[in-house]
Amino acid sequence: SSHEHKLDFKKSKELCLSYIQDAMLQKQWKRAAEFFTSYVEALEKDFSRERVCPSEMIWRIGSEILCHHSQGNVKEFNSFIEQMKTLGVKRYLKVCLEHVFHLLCNGLVEEAYQNLALAESWRFGEQTAIQDQEMKLIQAYRGLLDYYSWSKQKNILLEGGECQDGLDDLSAEQEMHGCFRKAAVNLKEILKVPGVWDLFVKCYVDLLEFYGDHEEALQVLNEYAYNSKFPANPNAHVYLYQFLKRHGESKKSLISALKILHDLVPSHELMIDFHAMLQKSKKRKKRRLGLEVIFAVLDYSGWKENVKAWSCLARQVKQIVTSGKHLEWIKQEWSSRKDWWPAFHFSRYWAKRNWQQNESLAYGKALVAGILLGKECKYFKYVSHQGCKAQLKRFRVLKRFVNKNNLVYLRISG
Amino acid sequence: MEFPAALFPSYFSAGPPREDGDSTPAAGWGEHGQVLEAGSNHRQAETAFVPRRGGMGESWEPADAAAVPLLPPNASRWISPLAPQDILYHGVLRRKLWAGKTAATLDFAKQLGHFFVDHPEDVFGSLGQLLHQNFFLGNSKLRVSVCVGVTTPLPTLPLSAAGSSFCPFSLQRGSRHSTIRMTALMEEIDRLEARRGCHKRHLTPRLRWFSHLCRDWLFEVPLGLLADCVHEELLQQWASLLFNDSLTGGALAWLPPEDTGVRTGCLVYPGGQAMNHLCILLHGVSLGRERSGSCCNALSQHTGFQDVVLEELPHAQGSPVQFELNGRIQQVSAAWVDGEDFIGVRSDYHCGVWRMPGRVGVAPTPLQVIRTDMPASCLTVSPHLPGELSVCTQSGAVYLWNVETGLHRLRCDPQTMFFRDHSPWRWSDFTAHPRVLSCADRTGLQCLDARAPKRCHFDLFKVGEEAGCQQGERVVLPMYLGRAHPSHHLVTTQFSVYILDERLPMVPVLKWAHMMKDAPLFAHLTPGGLGRSHKVLLGTSRTQELLLLQYQGGNQSAYQLVGPPQKLHSIAGCLQHLPAQLPHHHHLLQQRLSIPAAGLAAALQEDGPCESLTVFQLSEAGDIFCQRLAHEAAQPPTPTKRDEATQPTSRASPHPSLAVPSLAAALRYRHWLKALSKACGKHPQHTCPPTFSQKRLFTHRELETQAGSSALHEQARQWLRQAMQEGGSIRGWDTPAFQPSPLPTPLEPAGGMDSLSTRLTAAWSGDWGQWWEERSSFNMAQRQRALRERRRRQKRARGRRSLSASFTSSLTYQSELSELSDTALPPPLSPTQLPRPAGPSPPLSPVLDEALLSSQSLRCRGIPKERRKMLRDYLSVCTEGPPEPPGSQSSQACIPHSQGLSLSQACIPHSQGLSLSQASSASRPRRKRPRMGF
Repeated sequence: SSHEHKLDFKKSKELCLSYIQDAMLQKQWKRAAEFFTSYVEALEKDFSRERVCPSEMIWRIGSEILCHHSQGNVKEFNSFIEQMKTLGVKRYLKVCLEHVFHLLCNGLVEEAYQNLALAESWRFGEQTAIQDQEMKLIQAYRGLLDYYSWSKQKNILLEGGECQDGLDDLSAEQEMHGCFRKAAVNLKEILKVPGVWDLFVKCYVDLLEFYGDHEEALQVLNEYAYNSKFPANPNAHVYLYQFLKRHGESKKSLISALKILHDLVPSHELMIDFHAMLQKSKKRKKRRLGLEVIFAVLDYSGWKENVKAWSCLARQVKQIVTSGKHLEWIKQEWSSRKDWWPAFHFSRYWAKRNWQQNESLAYGKALVAGILLGKECKYFKYVSHQGCKAQLKRFRVLKRFVNKNNLVYLRISG
Repeated sequence: MEFPAALFPSYFSAGPPREDGDSTPAAGWGEHGQVLEAGSNHRQAETAFVPRRGGMGESWEPADAAAVPLLPPNASRWISPLAPQDILYHGVLRRKLWAGKTAATLDFAKQLGHFFVDHPEDVFGSLGQLLHQNFFLGNSKLRVSVCVGVTTPLPTLPLSAAGSSFCPFSLQRGSRHSTIRMTALMEEIDRLEARRGCHKRHLTPRLRWFSHLCRDWLFEVPLGLLADCVHEELLQQWASLLFNDSLTGGALAWLPPEDTGVRTGCLVYPGGQAMNHLCILLHGVSLGRERSGSCCNALSQHTGFQDVVLEELPHAQGSPVQFELNGRIQQVSAAWVDGEDFIGVRSDYHCGVWRMPGRVGVAPTPLQVIRTDMPASCLTVSPHLPGELSVCTQSGAVYLWNVETGLHRLRCDPQTMFFRDHSPWRWSDFTAHPRVLSCADRTGLQCLDARAPKRCHFDLFKVGEEAGCQQGERVVLPMYLGRAHPSHHLVTTQFSVYILDERLPMVPVLKWAHMMKDAPLFAHLTPGGLGRSHKVLLGTSRTQELLLLQYQGGNQSAYQLVGPPQKLHSIAGCLQHLPAQLPHHHHLLQQRLSIPAAGLAAALQEDGPCESLTVFQLSEAGDIFCQRLAHEAAQPPTPTKRDEATQPTSRASPHPSLAVPSLAAALRYRHWLKALSKACGKHPQHTCPPTFSQKRLFTHRELETQAGSSALHEQARQWLRQAMQEGGSIRGWDTPAFQPSPLPTPLEPAGGMDSLSTRLTAAWSGDWGQWWEERSSFNMAQRQRALRERRRRQKRARGRRSLSASFTSSLTYQSELSELSDTALPPPLSPTQLPRPAGPSPPLSPVLDEALLSSQSLRCRGIPKERRKMLRDYLSVCTEGPPEPPGSQSSQACIPHSQGLSLSQACIPHSQGLSLSQASSASRPRRKRPRMGF
């Protein structure tokens, strides 16, 4: 019967848990809290050794309820979490980290910092791999908070530098440098481990840049962007590009940075800048790449109605057609798109819609359609007809231009 | 297409999933994940942080207490689903295997046995014919007759025929040596049957010998082949019982109107008996509050079901356009391209595509159908190009299907992508680039360029350490979330839900443990506008769970899961709000409502400041239920005049108390129930009440001769005749003395203890002796009372008999009869009583019973002895009360005929009102046609 009793106990525990879950999923936090108190009581009497530790569940459910309960406040939350920290050694760091997140989201940066410092000093036997990671994160977040206080002090110093006397300045400056050192050490540490560290990289580079250590900053950014162990994060390349741009690096290095971004994410917003940069280049190869980039951008559905991208393409196509050189570039780009671009971009539906919504978009698209598909193309016909009807000069010019260069269409599609 | 300037921090490492994944049942709660600085304004005094999970989401409150049926119940002849006990081993063997912790064991032998018994002609047909002469099933000794023309008993079919049949046949000389006597073998088989479940049963040597001899040649279909097929089928059934992935994606689609202000859209769903009718509600489903009168009329003409104006509840208008298809519809997917809706429909071996012009009310046109050799597992419609779809089959092939250019195979690989997994399930969907498709199997997702699928591809998601997966985690449903953001994808597994961005492959930008009891097979996205959150609905099949999540970000800000997840009503949840039912009706209803879900769709309705989300859920039986969620910022609806008149209570507060459904919903439940019972009661086999033939009971003369014996006899005979003509039964044989006793007196109150506890209590308190005294005296008193009661009854019976004074009957028989009528009188089964014989029928006295039934009176009527028993049985049936009313016979509609493999013997609450002979035949479960006993 003791076995039966145990089973009953387990069953009622499970039932109680399901009630709690149910209430939480229906946002009935009060009801959930009531069930939760009895659940916790039940666990106190539970001497069974189960694989799944109930203390984790208590922590998770309890903090969720406290977050949403109408009468929950930060003070109560703190005391609950402090109890939770003592419950499980294995989860100590994780609970600390989540506690810090909660404090940060509630604007209690100071308390969060103290908690981080406390957690950092925690030692218990040998650390598992996960605990190691958590410890590194704790240090990194501490570094981040150090960085924020550094940047605050920096701003104060920069703004009110003149009106304060030198002694205060000096101590403030020293404090600021102290913050820098603490932040730099911790941030540098986490950047060695593969991961997505956008936040930390930005701060670290900002610190280094302020103290003029450009080489180190560049190295960090290069490592972050090009180390194959790191995920293919577009932001890594963006940061590198922005850094290079800030420091007036050569066009060549900027282009090579963006080229890699283009290979990774052809639909990135920087591709418009990239295209403009390549257009300005004297080299044929670069301009050829520019055409490729702008075509690739317009492949993506997110760019479908982007005026800027279409006008870029229209300009380059027009330039190529009027110069009469490099028509084969267009031909090459078009060959892999001619079976689906007409339905994707140049259908009658889109002609109508673009004309109604954005005239200059319709203009750019109509130009490209007229060149690529000839004057009989539905899109071109509709838009140029509407444009002429509305007596807009540029549409009349467009019509003349396309009519004149109708042979190009045959050469491209042939 | 902007990318967030900074993403939430996360570790990244490659490799197989970690071993110590946290699989607590509450894994989704209490985590913020990470934090990120909100806005990059350093000049602010304090930096603000935002969590990855948490924060305030939009508030969507359910508007009613439960889901409400949208359409009348699907008229499927619904067969109760296969249950594990139908195909698994029971009894000794199972217990033995269970002890060894072996996985479930399929009862393969039982299935094969059923097949042999149900289809003997197919199994032993021709060999049975051939061996016909050589088997002898008679009881007599096998002898050889010399003279030609002597009839000799011979069997017709070996094994299958239980009794011997006699057919004239002349044995020829010498056949003694080529004929064997099977009777002993049959007896042994019967004995074996009787010992079923016995621990120590051994096959007798004779049986072993016989099976050894015949195994190879007796069967029409080679036994090995047949066994292989049966086993394969069983395995498949078992696998689909554990996890049925053929429904992935769901078979319900909502086509929103082009203009969001319009309140009607189209619902596409499967219907019909085999779920093979594609139904498209052309006139749409109106979501609005105001209804015009014309719609209402149209409705009452067509369906006759929803002829009530239901405010606040979505409403089907008109009858759907139906297309009959060649197989069960497994998936319906739809996309809106260039002002038209394209609807893709997948059944196992066929996929079809329909086009639906944007204007409401125009019939959809079928465009193309393809047939596949292997079952198709996925069909998705391109949101970019009109008439383009992607198809996957279980052979591992992925096709891009264009209505104009045909099929284009992108990949054919029976192996899974990242590691080995046995599942043949494949999925594919579209991405931000119209020529790039995502392909998925259980191990992850890859993106392929359709122009060069072999060369250009990249990994989007992998079950592994990269995404922080657990061991054993598998992809269940990938979905392209292009309507929220062109580069977003959703992946669900049995544990978690992931949001991916194709610009940052392999690293899920959001991950959350969904804690659902089953793997989410259905998902629906309702994109939010600028600054709003995207709403993702997840649905499971077996448990009918529905979960609403909200996420935002992806453009400028990083991805965040906002607000707590929210559980929505399931179909089964409305059971408690339905009117009270009789227990077996309740059970049937419960079964019907808790059938696995088969699809999910949602419609967003914007009505000025008010926003509401209507969620539709489809069940495998074809029923569609819906529920409305109101956006919290929305104003309470202004009641129309009509409302105020009819339902003042539910409109009094903007949020009706959610414990009870609104009046409108209750009305709908009632209509739905009525329609359901009507649909289920239509079963032709069971509507006619059991009939008895009176030809063999009495000859015409027998009935004639006794005319005028007494007025009572005459009356009884008249009732009998009338009842037989009407096919009903006679009620009222019972007298006040034989009235069914009222409800049994309740047992001792719950506090009362059983004898053991009282005795122990007494022993504990020390006065055990007193207890014994009390008990024995109590027993004595009880016995005395019983004795007195019996005597009184006997006296009364004797007195009654003396009234008739025409005969004496044995007392035992009388008590037998009273026992019968006492116990067999059923409680009334349903509020609708059986049609009784017209006119008031005064209760018949028991005298009549006895007079009619006593053997003496029967003998004097010249009824032969062997028919007397029959007559008694017959009349006792009549005294038992009405047979089951037609309404409740729906219970029988779900008894599947056991054929071959689908052997789900539903356990049906057996109605007590059936005749004895019928009940006994029903207790023998494997007899197909119940014998009526006459």
